[in-house]
Amino acid sequence: MEGIADFLDSLIGGVDLTFYSLAVGGLIWGIFVLRPWDPMAHYTNKFLSKSVHLTYVGAYTLVITQLAKIVLKIWLMTATLERWPFPAFANTVQFQAGLIRAFFALILALYIRNVLKHNFRITKYWLIGIVLALPMVISGAWLVHGASRLEDRELLMLFTVIHQVSAAVWVGSVFQLLSVWRMKSKGQINEQLWPALLWRFSPIGIVAVISIVASGLPIALHYFDSLNSLIGTGYGNLLLVKILMLGIALFFAGMNRRAVHDYFLSANNHDVNYRVPYYIEAEAFVLVTLLFTAASLASQPPAIDIPHLTASWQEVLNTFAPRIPRIESPSHEALLAGEEGRVAIVGQVPSEAATAWSDYNHNVSGIFLTIMSIFAMLSYYKKLTWAKYWPIGFVLLGIFLFFRSDAETWPLGPIGFWESTFNNGEVLQHRIATLLVFMLGLLEMKARLTQDPDSKLPYLFPILAAFGGLMLLAHSHVGFEPKTAFLIQVGHTLMGLFALILACGRWLELKLDSPGKEIAGFISVFALFQIGIILLFYREPLY
Amino acid sequence: MLNQLSRHFKLTALLALILLPYSQLHAHAVVTDTSLNVEKIAPNKATKVRLTFNSQVELGLSQIFLVSAGDKMQLLNAEPGGHQGNVIIDIPPLTPGEYALKLSIFAADGHLSEDIVRFFVAEGK
Repeated sequence: MEGIADFLDSLIGGVDLTFYSLAVGGLIWGIFVLRPWDPMAHYTNKFLSKSVHLTYVGAYTLVITQLAKIVLKIWLMTATLERWPFPAFANTVQFQAGLIRAFFALILALYIRNVLKHNFRITKYWLIGIVLALPMVISGAWLVHGASRLEDRELLMLFTVIHQVSAAVWVGSVFQLLSVWRMKSKGQINEQLWPALLWRFSPIGIVAVISIVASGLPIALHYFDSLNSLIGTGYGNLLLVKILMLGIALFFAGMNRRAVHDYFLSANNHDVNYRVPYYIEAEAFVLVTLLFTAASLASQPPAIDIPHLTASWQEVLNTFAPRIPRIESPSHEALLAGEEGRVAIVGQVPSEAATAWSDYNHNVSGIFLTIMSIFAMLSYYKKLTWAKYWPIGFVLLGIFLFFRSDAETWPLGPIGFWESTFNNGEVLQHRIATLLVFMLGLLEMKARLTQDPDSKLPYLFPILAAFGGLMLLAHSHVGFEPKTAFLIQVGHTLMGLFALILACGRWLELKLDSPGKEIAGFISVFALFQIGIILLFYREPLY
Repeated sequence: MLNQLSRHFKLTALLALILLPYSQLHAHAVVTDTSLNVEKIAPNKATKVRLTFNSQVELGLSQIFLVSAGDKMQLLNAEPGGHQGNVIIDIPPLTPGEYALKLSIFAADGHLSEDIVRFFVAEGK
């Protein structure tokens, strides 16, 4: 069960940040964007109630996730230490600050439900909400990465909290905008409210982004001592991906801003109604993935602490160098024979068979994906009807991975299916990834063959692809051998980013009209092709 | 159609719960320095080794094992050093050979980290 505890422990950080964003971002949205006390705004009670409810859901679920974090930590420590961690755990900052934060989040949630929900047109009650949120925000400072640092602790805690609040304003507002769009598309609000709120949010969004960068920069400068450490460590790698994702989210935000600007200049509402909502949906995909990546980043050792374990930029580039894919696998017996030496702590002997086994798995998966992406490209030519069956490749890939991912477990190895799944976090992750790939193939095939024009099934593919990307971005190999593990991680992280692009592209292909539809579809398939190429040339360092 | 969407949403939410990320026990609290770098351990003599971490550690929730040939583990006594991030561990008398310290460290920011410090014990010249 330790594997499940590990899994959930790493998951909960991103979930926590998402709900935090809903709560904190919702309050800022109410005060600076909605401004419900404005009599000229013509908000209905139902509309305001919905917005406040979303904020309440954020605060309430934050209580649950914060308590769940503590419970998971207890579970994980009990499994790792093989003893009950109390009373020692009760004296930790994590336990005390965690409980205090949950308590303040509960106070906020109760206030929103019992007071703000009934007085949402009065300024004073929103301001009280902000005051009540402050202790919850401040107590979170003791739960961040910087809290354990030996130098500049207070400054790092302060900047991280500002960074979190700024991100929460952006993410929380994006969720509020999605809620507004949903009500608008159901005809529950005034037509004009949608562009008006988009317009009002624009400056708030700009301030949030400036604040994110301004607070993130000093943290990054503290944790990096050279450009190479930005390229050659897991911490730097994830930060670069975060910056790239920020760029993608800003691209969507910029498109929205331009569309709203055009609307107020020319009264042409096409883009505002038929493009902006879907850009915001894609932006939400990116921002949520960004939050999970941020949570994953917090569990990496800062680059400045591991100069002796930092890879050179040449070593990083070499991991992506084209080479002939391995299409011959070592035997199962040869692999198992080398396992004892490979996992030994004292007298460790690197296993060439294990490296070859892993290379084969990755390279063959690359062949699957590259061929599938080529078929996917061909499927845009209507005459090539057979090409539309390309998602079958995912089903075959899932079967391949089921047999090859973990050679020491069932069905090829001696360790049973359930025993390996629930006692080893890495095996659990591989099993999940295998299931994901298999499901992707089945669902996408069914979606492409359905005759129902209103079917929602096609949307599952981009959603699952986004989750797959999310999983890859948190698939950190950093453990006992950080440099070697990082060289494995760097390819996986890049694939995670491409999986997110694949998801956003496909989502927009399904939602947009021409020519955006075709452009997004091509970008999506190209991202799949890139993932295939990375896997095709993958080579694991010998360790 | 709403029912269909709701069904899909539930399926997606279920899958999301299962598929969200897993990452191994990470190295956040890492050893940045150790007295082993400057003082070699003499054979057959009990000694103390200092480990310096990049962050504050909760020693009551951490474990340090001595690993000897055949990956035999022995739990070691560990105490706080004079400075924050320093930990002093008691090493029993060791015969010449290869050894390692296997660390399970609970950092003050709540991350449970694992690390390995390898070292040799050799006869003095």
